[in-house]
Amino acid sequence: MAKFILRRLFHAVIVVFVISLLIFFSIRLTGDPVAVMFAAGEPSQQAIDNLTAELGLDQPIWVQYGIFLRDLITFDLGTSFRTGQSVSSMVAATIGPTTLLAAAGMAVAILIAFPVGIVSAVKRGTVLDFGGRMFSLIGISFPNFWLGIMLILIFAVMLGWFPASGYGTPQHFVLPAITLGLILSGILSRLVRSSMLEVLNQQYIATAHSKGLRSWVVIFRHGLRNALIPTVTFMGVQFGGLLAGTVIIEQVFSWPGLGRMIIDAINARDYPVVQGGVIVLALITVAVNLLVDLSYSILNPRIKAGGSDS
Amino acid sequence: MLLSSSNQAPTGDLLVVENLEVAIPEEKRDVTIVNGISFTVPAGRTLGVVGESGSGKSLTSLTVMGQLPKNLKLASGSIRLNGEELTTLSTDRRRRLRGKEMAMIFQEPMTSLNPSYRVGAQIVEMVRNHQDVSRAEARKRAIEMLKLVGIPRAEEVVDDYPHQLSGGMRQRVMIALALANEPTLLIADEPTTALDVTIQAQILELMKRLQAELGMSIILITHDLGVVAETCDDVVVMYAGEIVERARVEELFAEPKHPYTRGLLESIPDIDTEVDVLPSIPGTVPTPQSMGTGCRFASRCPQAFDYCRENTPPEIRVNDTSAAKCWLYDPEVVAQHHPEHTAA
Repeated sequence: MAKFILRRLFHAVIVVFVISLLIFFSIRLTGDPVAVMFAAGEPSQQAIDNLTAELGLDQPIWVQYGIFLRDLITFDLGTSFRTGQSVSSMVAATIGPTTLLAAAGMAVAILIAFPVGIVSAVKRGTVLDFGGRMFSLIGISFPNFWLGIMLILIFAVMLGWFPASGYGTPQHFVLPAITLGLILSGILSRLVRSSMLEVLNQQYIATAHSKGLRSWVVIFRHGLRNALIPTVTFMGVQFGGLLAGTVIIEQVFSWPGLGRMIIDAINARDYPVVQGGVIVLALITVAVNLLVDLSYSILNPRIKAGGSDS
Repeated sequence: MLLSSSNQAPTGDLLVVENLEVAIPEEKRDVTIVNGISFTVPAGRTLGVVGESGSGKSLTSLTVMGQLPKNLKLASGSIRLNGEELTTLSTDRRRRLRGKEMAMIFQEPMTSLNPSYRVGAQIVEMVRNHQDVSRAEARKRAIEMLKLVGIPRAEEVVDDYPHQLSGGMRQRVMIALALANEPTLLIADEPTTALDVTIQAQILELMKRLQAELGMSIILITHDLGVVAETCDDVVVMYAGEIVERARVEELFAEPKHPYTRGLLESIPDIDTEVDVLPSIPGTVPTPQSMGTGCRFASRCPQAFDYCRENTPPEIRVNDTSAAKCWLYDPEVVAQHHPEHTAA
């Protein structure tokens, strides 16, 4: 087990290194931050040179990357070009709202997708199954920002039940969490359905019936338990997508999270903030996937973490 | 007592199945896939059900268990266990019989146990589903059952997962599971087909021993006539959803009646005779949709004559203990329609 975790941590380091390369160079394709900062006036060449040197942008690009990497190893994410605040403190302030939003979205997705998927599989070929599959299709086809805007329009503007934007009270969670969760539940319910269908065809389900167990015991204890294995994997992978989703949803709902911080920073070409934010998102994704892998050995006795399967 | 024509079930018959008909419901007309099956299983005895794949033998057993797949329906027929009619029971009453009065062993020991639970937990679940006992008592019972089926180190195996056991061991576990509540009827659907020959013999031996100890009746479904010869008292041979022959086991092997049974027996290699090509029955089992009038085996039967192709044979009693669904055993039909006689 310890060996397995160590190996996965090593993988995580490589992932973060690759992400650091990608984000470092791709953000520099967006343009010169100094030009954005002086967008209002007509600065002298001297002022431009001074600011460029101050931000460290006069160094060769490989040197800049080296400094970024060196600081990263000591968990120093640098300081914002715009505000001079440390990126670490900015991340610390925004990571909470983002994680809570992602968790709430995942919770909504699970609460919707499991009942829909299970009923669809058990009542295969019936009107209920058709309804469940239509729901999945709609969920998969909807762009989440559009759904967010529609929810704001109906439940905030027209009905006034929930706040349209902002953060703070439980009510603020309702619309963004539903927006995130509904989209994910479309694809998740489809996966729950197909996993359940596959499992319910297995011989051990017939065995369970032959024991005289009640149908719901067979479905949940013998069916769902085994259908969870592929589903949980998927949810782990999907958590990264969910985080990506929060970037857009935070924008729509003015949610003070990591995603909105990154978007604002991209617009301002605030390199360190973008780099730090993306690296932290990558770390969260890697950590969640590690947790999913560890949960395997609990869900599936045939897999022992560490690969020492007989 | 083996013959279905006797309406009154003699005492000592544990299971009486009459005119079972299973169909696929279709919009225009139901397609019958198991047709007019009747048999009885006396208490403490073993009935062999033999046939090729697709002959309806597994469906028959699932029907008796009351767990037909959803897309099939029991069109008609009667199933009586200890005199109690099962087909009219509520699904809940029927469910309570499963695992208690009747239990089933499936063909694939590799997949018939749930991979996510320890084998002990699966037996405990079976025991506690029907008996009001504590978890600890049920666990004791599980270990006892594992010992009974000859599993060494039962106290340790009880905490193993199915994937830690070999196929033969898993089938032993399945038997332990099925017999945990001492059912009166055990249905074994190809219990040894997936196993090595040496393990097969052990499992069959075990089933015979447990039958003697516990006194249950067994329906043994198999395509393997060797297994039938070793374990069964009575045999029914199924073909294309029908029973084509029934007999005591010795008689079936000594004097097979139906041309299909004869074909099956001829296609078993004999250790004493050298043959270049092993005889086989040409053709395949007709699909339920393609079955018209006439004997269903006629197209593959070496002894078929015109009459066979146009008239469906009834079950014809050959002697006290055997019957065959074949016109060759109706002297009148043979006299009037068989080419040997009509030519003369």
